[in-house]
Amino acid sequence: MREWLSRLLDWFRRDKLDAELRDELQFHRHALERDARPDDPVSTRQRMGNTTIAIEQSRERWSIPWLDHLQQDVRHAVRSLRRSPGFSTGVIATLALGIGANAAMFGVVDRLMYRPYPLLRDAAMVNRVYLRWTDRDALRTTYSFEYRRYLDFQEWTSSFDRFAAFFPTNLAIGRGEATREREIAAVSASYFSFFDVRPALGRFFTPDEDVTPKGAQVVILGHGFWQSEYGGRDVIGETLQIGSQPFTIIGVVPKNFTGVTEGKPRAAFIPITTFAGSGSSAEAKRYYTRYNWGWMEMIVRRKDGVSAEQASRDLSTAYVRSWDAERGFFPQLPPSSVAKPYAVAGALKTAAGPDPSLEARTALWVTGVALIVLLIACANVANLFLSRALRRRREVALRLALGVSRARLAAKTLTESLVLALIGCALGVVVAQVGGQVLSRLFLPEWVTFSLLGDTRTLLVAIAAALLAALVTGVVPALLATRADLAVALKAGSREGTYQRSRTRVALLVAQGALSVMLLVGAGLFVRSLNRVRAMRLGFDTDRIILLRHELRGTALGDSESVGLSRQLLQAAQAMPVVEHASFVSSVPFWSTSSTRLYVPGIDSVQRLGRFTYQEASADYFATMGTRILRGRPFGAEDRAGAPRVAVVSEGMARTLWPGKDAIGQCIRVSADTMPCTTVVGVAEDAVQQSLTDPKRFRYYLPIDQTDWSRGYFLLVRTRVAPEDHVEEIRAALQRIMPGQGYVTAWPLDTVIDERRRSWEVGATMFVAFGGLALVVAAIGLYAVIGYNVTQRMHELGVRIALGAQSGDVVRLVISQGMRFALAGTTVGAVLALWAARFVEPLLFQQSARDPIVFVGVALILLLVAAAASTAPALRATRADPNQTLRAE
Amino acid sequence: MAPNPRRDLLPGTLDMLVLKTLSVQSMHGYAIARQIERLSDDILRIEEGSLYPALQRMRQKGWIKAEWRQSPNNQRARYYTITASGRKQLGVSESGFEELINAIARVMGT
Repeated sequence: MREWLSRLLDWFRRDKLDAELRDELQFHRHALERDARPDDPVSTRQRMGNTTIAIEQSRERWSIPWLDHLQQDVRHAVRSLRRSPGFSTGVIATLALGIGANAAMFGVVDRLMYRPYPLLRDAAMVNRVYLRWTDRDALRTTYSFEYRRYLDFQEWTSSFDRFAAFFPTNLAIGRGEATREREIAAVSASYFSFFDVRPALGRFFTPDEDVTPKGAQVVILGHGFWQSEYGGRDVIGETLQIGSQPFTIIGVVPKNFTGVTEGKPRAAFIPITTFAGSGSSAEAKRYYTRYNWGWMEMIVRRKDGVSAEQASRDLSTAYVRSWDAERGFFPQLPPSSVAKPYAVAGALKTAAGPDPSLEARTALWVTGVALIVLLIACANVANLFLSRALRRRREVALRLALGVSRARLAAKTLTESLVLALIGCALGVVVAQVGGQVLSRLFLPEWVTFSLLGDTRTLLVAIAAALLAALVTGVVPALLATRADLAVALKAGSREGTYQRSRTRVALLVAQGALSVMLLVGAGLFVRSLNRVRAMRLGFDTDRIILLRHELRGTALGDSESVGLSRQLLQAAQAMPVVEHASFVSSVPFWSTSSTRLYVPGIDSVQRLGRFTYQEASADYFATMGTRILRGRPFGAEDRAGAPRVAVVSEGMARTLWPGKDAIGQCIRVSADTMPCTTVVGVAEDAVQQSLTDPKRFRYYLPIDQTDWSRGYFLLVRTRVAPEDHVEEIRAALQRIMPGQGYVTAWPLDTVIDERRRSWEVGATMFVAFGGLALVVAAIGLYAVIGYNVTQRMHELGVRIALGAQSGDVVRLVISQGMRFALAGTTVGAVLALWAARFVEPLLFQQSARDPIVFVGVALILLLVAAAASTAPALRATRADPNQTLRAE
Repeated sequence: MAPNPRRDLLPGTLDMLVLKTLSVQSMHGYAIARQIERLSDDILRIEEGSLYPALQRMRQKGWIKAEWRQSPNNQRARYYTITASGRKQLGVSESGFEELINAIARVMGT
């Protein structure tokens, strides 16, 4: 090993070593001559021995033959690439795009799904726990736990030596003016023992600070927060207000510590039982004995030798037991034999877990797309190489005839593609750096910085992609070089006149076309699906709505005071000139829904028909949201407490509950069948709730005056003009009303909705970008091949023209050849796309993956592009000079 | 014909001889050759055709180091110095050599 290293070092300074050896031998000779006795019968030369052997054998010590060959080949490659700059630029640019796209996508997917959290000890042994069960024939997955369930798992499993619970959330930190809502994490005391860390300052939690019913009021600061808010000074023992309570600072986490939470670095960590035990209601205080609050997340570390499968089985057994225990409290829960609950010890990152988000799945697809782009680029480059290899047939044959070994020739060809691929790789990294920033904005949360510098994993992938490209593009021409038939190639008659078809090249061309078609079909599908998402009526207008939430933050208010405050906020908002309508609501689309038991006279079990959610809202709700009333009337100020109970139901709900009948005037009983009738007074258009894709939109609306104002968590405000400039103005105005340390947070509703559309938007953007890229690359490939064929056929075309062919005939001849390639590619691609359709369909929004419009459109585009790419060579073909041809004959 | 009979070295012994010579003091190639010849009464003759490749090989193996110095008569010469791993190697070869000689002696003695 050591010897080889020094051999390698010597190889780099071999010229110097040669010179030194010469000097040394010279010195030896001089010394011999000086010391020679005149009477010595042995001459100096004889004593000296064989100098040539000395030099040759010494040299062998620092020559590494394959390295010498490699160097030669690289030089040769660089020389020949410089001789044809157009060819080289084309190849390098194509590969740079292909490699760059892949490196960037890998960087994104790796961050999203696979890259281990920093500082985590034995990352391979740590799992997140997922729960799955069947609900009305649908498989549900969650990674939110009840604290009681967390205790159950600790008690009833034996596969783990460590458990931790954590809950990332936002809480107001600080006092007075400096109060800001920050990302914090409530964690169990065991949490930090999953990591190889020591606190930067102070200590971590002790087990007795994390106990039920309520843990200690202690806090550990995030490193960034400690630096920005305290300048990194000693803060141990100081008090920090978090939420409504004072906490004592006991430690600071080290730099780079992120925990296992996605999202922004946490500003502070508090014991999870301290967080959970702060609830004021009696129900909230039972969080560790009942299964009434599923909120926190859970990680486990497996004991040595326990596989993830074994761990999952162990967890599942415990989960069934825990499910049955839960049924003791909630008899309406289906028995475990029906729900079939099971648990999975899965990936830490939920994007790689058993039920990844649409974004994560889309990201994986886009990675596949990037790989296809690289394949197309490779096919293209291989084709260009092949064209050149054919052109160089005579040169190659000559070399072979002169005794160059076929292996060396193949190595030369491979080296050439390697050099091109590596240059492409270097450029590709630049492409990936720029493109990756765009991609990470699409896929990754904003606080993740995407930089390839120092990102070894991504750089390695880029290099691997380059080597793959070199291999793929180099192998075919290399094989061709070694298979050249000397006798045929050297024959004088075999000049460029004979038009040679190469099956390999046709296959490559067709493959390129087919792959492009697949990507373009994908692009078309995603674009149409995005259009559908955009065009879909949500059941409300989002464009001028601001969502506000107020937090009391520890100010204790009685029920009537609290309701008074809500009314006051509502009136203040309504009084602002910029506000058109305002309404207090109990839930916000996509964020939360509420449901309760519902009884309808004449229907046995309403629950069996689906999930009916309700929205409690103050008067003016429908005007604020822009939800249209189809029949009857919305509720208004006259439907106050004490007045007859009224409700508005969604159209879907009306149709399901009273098919063929008018819903107006019907009676529903909310939460118990002993409740008085709530009369339906209006039917509203369907509106989305939790998910854009859920077709069932059973929803009813109750005037909050008639239910419970204290459940009015959110204030919705419709502005007269675009809300961007007024969000802060309205928020500040309302915050002034808040007593004590209360505060108000505001979001334009658009931002909430846009998040939900993102996966389709991202899919459409990426497929279009990569599909376009693929089309351009494929078009260049077609152009190059047709152009090359025309050059090859110039002689034949000249003869045709001499025999009276019109330029129109020649153009048709060449273009039809291009079209044949394109048609073959389109057919193959369409078949493949049809096959792939069922895999991509779940990612689309109410869009068939076999949409004929998309397929036909793509076929037309490809044929058009093929025609365009063949036109220039075709026109060149008409310039074939019959005179020249005949003279050459 | 040379009056002094020239003996071929047993394979592998050249390295050992060179290391042994260098274990006394640093020397240039010529001095190494002369020293071996002198100590063996000119029976062993070291030709540069084998000496210099051997020196390079041992240098790459890390047994000896090479540096250019002024020789006593003010000429630039490359001096070789034995390293710690070279001394270890010398020990290994010496004991192996001893075993070999003893074995040959036993065979020849019977």
